[in-house]
Amino acid sequence: MTVCDAGGEREVSFLHNALQLAQTRSGDGAHTFSEHTLKRQCDPEFLELLDEKTADVDVILSLGCGIGVQAIAERLPDMPVLPGVNTSFMGMTKESGVWDERCAACGDCRLEDTAGICPITRCTKGILNGPCAGTKNGKCEANKDMDCAWILIYQRLERLQQLDKMRRYYPPRNYRPIPRPRRIVSKVDTVVGEGDG
Amino acid sequence: MNVANTSYPENRPENTPDHSLIPPCQYACPLHMDIREYVGLVSQGRIMEALQVIRTGNPFPSICAYVCTHPCEDACRRSQVDKPIAIRSLKRFAVEFGGDRMVLAEAETKHAEKVAIVGSGPAGLACAYYLKKIGYPVTILEAHSEMGGMLRVGIPQYRLPREVLDIEVQRLTRMGVEIRTNTRVVSLDLLFELGYKAIFITIGAHQSLRLGIDGEESLGVIDGATFLREVNLGLKPSLGRRVAVVGGGNVAIDAARTATRLGVKKVSILYRRSRAEMPADPKEAEEALEEGIKIKYLVTPFSIKRENKRLNVTCVKMKLGEPDESGRQRPVPVKGSEFSEEFDTLIAAIGQAPQTPDDFGVRIGRGSTIQVDPSTLTTNRAGVFAGGDAVTGPATVTEALAAGRLAALRIDDYLQHRYPLPVKEAKEKLSGDLLPETIEMIRKIERVEPPSLASEVRAKDFETIELVYGWEQAINEARRCLRCGVGAEILFQDKCATCLTCLRVCPYHVPFLDESGTIRIPADQCQACGICVAECPAKAIVLRKPFDRRQVTEELDHTVKSAAESKTKPLIIGFCCQYGLFGTGTLARLWRGAKAGVSIIPVLCVAKVETSHILSAFETGAEGVFIAGCGEQCARENTTYWVQQRVEKVRKVLGPIGIEPERLQVFALGTAAEDPAEELDKFVEQISALRLASVIKGEVKS
Repeated sequence: MTVCDAGGEREVSFLHNALQLAQTRSGDGAHTFSEHTLKRQCDPEFLELLDEKTADVDVILSLGCGIGVQAIAERLPDMPVLPGVNTSFMGMTKESGVWDERCAACGDCRLEDTAGICPITRCTKGILNGPCAGTKNGKCEANKDMDCAWILIYQRLERLQQLDKMRRYYPPRNYRPIPRPRRIVSKVDTVVGEGDG
Repeated sequence: MNVANTSYPENRPENTPDHSLIPPCQYACPLHMDIREYVGLVSQGRIMEALQVIRTGNPFPSICAYVCTHPCEDACRRSQVDKPIAIRSLKRFAVEFGGDRMVLAEAETKHAEKVAIVGSGPAGLACAYYLKKIGYPVTILEAHSEMGGMLRVGIPQYRLPREVLDIEVQRLTRMGVEIRTNTRVVSLDLLFELGYKAIFITIGAHQSLRLGIDGEESLGVIDGATFLREVNLGLKPSLGRRVAVVGGGNVAIDAARTATRLGVKKVSILYRRSRAEMPADPKEAEEALEEGIKIKYLVTPFSIKRENKRLNVTCVKMKLGEPDESGRQRPVPVKGSEFSEEFDTLIAAIGQAPQTPDDFGVRIGRGSTIQVDPSTLTTNRAGVFAGGDAVTGPATVTEALAAGRLAALRIDDYLQHRYPLPVKEAKEKLSGDLLPETIEMIRKIERVEPPSLASEVRAKDFETIELVYGWEQAINEARRCLRCGVGAEILFQDKCATCLTCLRVCPYHVPFLDESGTIRIPADQCQACGICVAECPAKAIVLRKPFDRRQVTEELDHTVKSAAESKTKPLIIGFCCQYGLFGTGTLARLWRGAKAGVSIIPVLCVAKVETSHILSAFETGAEGVFIAGCGEQCARENTTYWVQQRVEKVRKVLGPIGIEPERLQVFALGTAAEDPAEELDKFVEQISALRLASVIKGEVKS
């Protein structure tokens, strides 16, 4: 399944056809290709469906995101897994065929203070305290087609009458060597009551 | 192991059922003809196949091609966009160009039970045709000297040439239908005594209604049906200089136009309501006006006096009052508005009724019509069926044909002692009007009218007025069809991730999110362009007709197979649109005398060519692949845009595979001033050069 034209049954068939064509044209090797689409690759229950299909397979090319590739690798310890897409960012569709980055999953969310506009992903420099000197007519000096995130933030704060938030100073982000949480646990350890055992 | 699409083997689109809906045109047609199908075939230039479809649903398509009142066109949803498809004219084109008159009808007699058909109008002829096809010995008994009923004695020759009718009658004779003209049936008992096991009464409605005014019996007053019958059977009644026709139906118009053709200079039609209420076909009325006939609205004759060999007709002006039971406003005389006019002849054409001999012993209902069970056409007498105008009162040819067909099936049931099963429609009817946002995006394409004789030429004699389309005109007209009811559907909801691609790519804003967050593609809005089908990342969307789903893949497979058999690999494979492009001749020479090494894969709009199809074409070993579509001339929106998107995507992967991206090209009509055939020639040259270069490179390497 896909919502961003990366992966999904159509992309899988397209890649299948392209591989087949490449093999025919190169004239070497006698690989056989097969295709299969899962609803999600990141859940072990879906991956169980792969077990039978991969009995005589030498390598898997996954069109899942980085998580999908790793989930297959975990499920099939003896199987090499190749990534078929280069997962770039968490974004949203602007229009059919255009996607914009919106979140870096930095674990340090400031959206409450920046009027719901993320300076980490939308500012080229990812700076936290107002625009740099490179902003011109509301556009970014690095790419004149892209809006300056800080101008957007300013305008929106103004609309919301929260311009005082612009006056605050935000300390630099935490770039410690291992800032990532690596695991989130939301379940609660329940205490096993007496008499249960 | 090369198993494509192993994830949902049971869900492969080619294995899925036909989910198409009945379009409004077909639903409106008394014969339920598959109009969408044959119009579609005409738009692809497949005229013989179109005729086959027409003949499956209509025993006498040539007759309908001239005189059908085309309720299908009234129901056509294109009229919400601009004007309806000219369906009748397209049928005319199909029967003329497809060679309907050459079609042989054959029938074997399989049953012993003889059936008598009383009357040879459209209902009788249709009943005879189908009964004979089923295998019964059939006799048609006709009171007049010639066959055809109202088709012969009612409809003037300029609307239905007699040779068309003669061909149909001859076809019936060849099938073995026994025909007895000049045979008026007065008693059904006699027919049963003669050994007929079933009788179909289809005696039409030939008795004109009376005006009910003073002086109606005067010399010089004639009724419409009698007048038309006399003229159509070869008499030339002398009418004088000034003729008035009373009435506003098709018979009144026919009578007036016939009088004009007999040389009468001043013909006026007196109609008691206004133009909007006139039941006659507006086109016929228009043509009558063009021929110099005057139509006086809101006027009715009050009394007639014969003086000095002339008719002095006192008329009264009318105004429209309260609506009557038919929904039309009832005309009311305006007091003191009487005026007199002189005419030589007055033709009363205010309606007709059947006249059934009492000795038939069938129950007569309102308006002197024969009472029948509408689903079985049985009368109160065992073995006696009735249909056509005799049952409905004056109606259309198509309705009569439908009644004849129904009678044949029910008579078969009766003679085989079967319980008549009600006909159940297997498919759902398409309902709902087009939404304004859909209409806005549909390309407006002008309706092409067939040529017709100029009014000053045609009013002189009984030559057929309407001429037939030319090839190009017919194809362009047929291309306007919206193909209602064969659009896209999300067949595999379990695959749909609600990614909204369909909603975003649809040029007509058809897919929408419902309240529960599920995407819907309403069948009554979809224009069947196929863009979402080719773009859906989950392959969850298909077109409703299996043929539309498989077409490109099947044609591609066919090309691959024939290439494998001939052992010479195709040099170039081209996906070429079948709508118009070839039919109108722009690329016709490409299609007909395909260049050596160029294999054409016919597609129904290039928007249905998917990226996989393009790669598969290269997979066959082709040196070049092109896609040729109608571009700006396409009846659908954005098709070329999406083809270009897909081509760019494929080009990106061709490079790494080692295939030069310029080996894949798009040709679209109307986007460039150049002749697409010329562009294609260049492409062929270019590909040949590339091949030569690679051969040389290969030799240098070795």
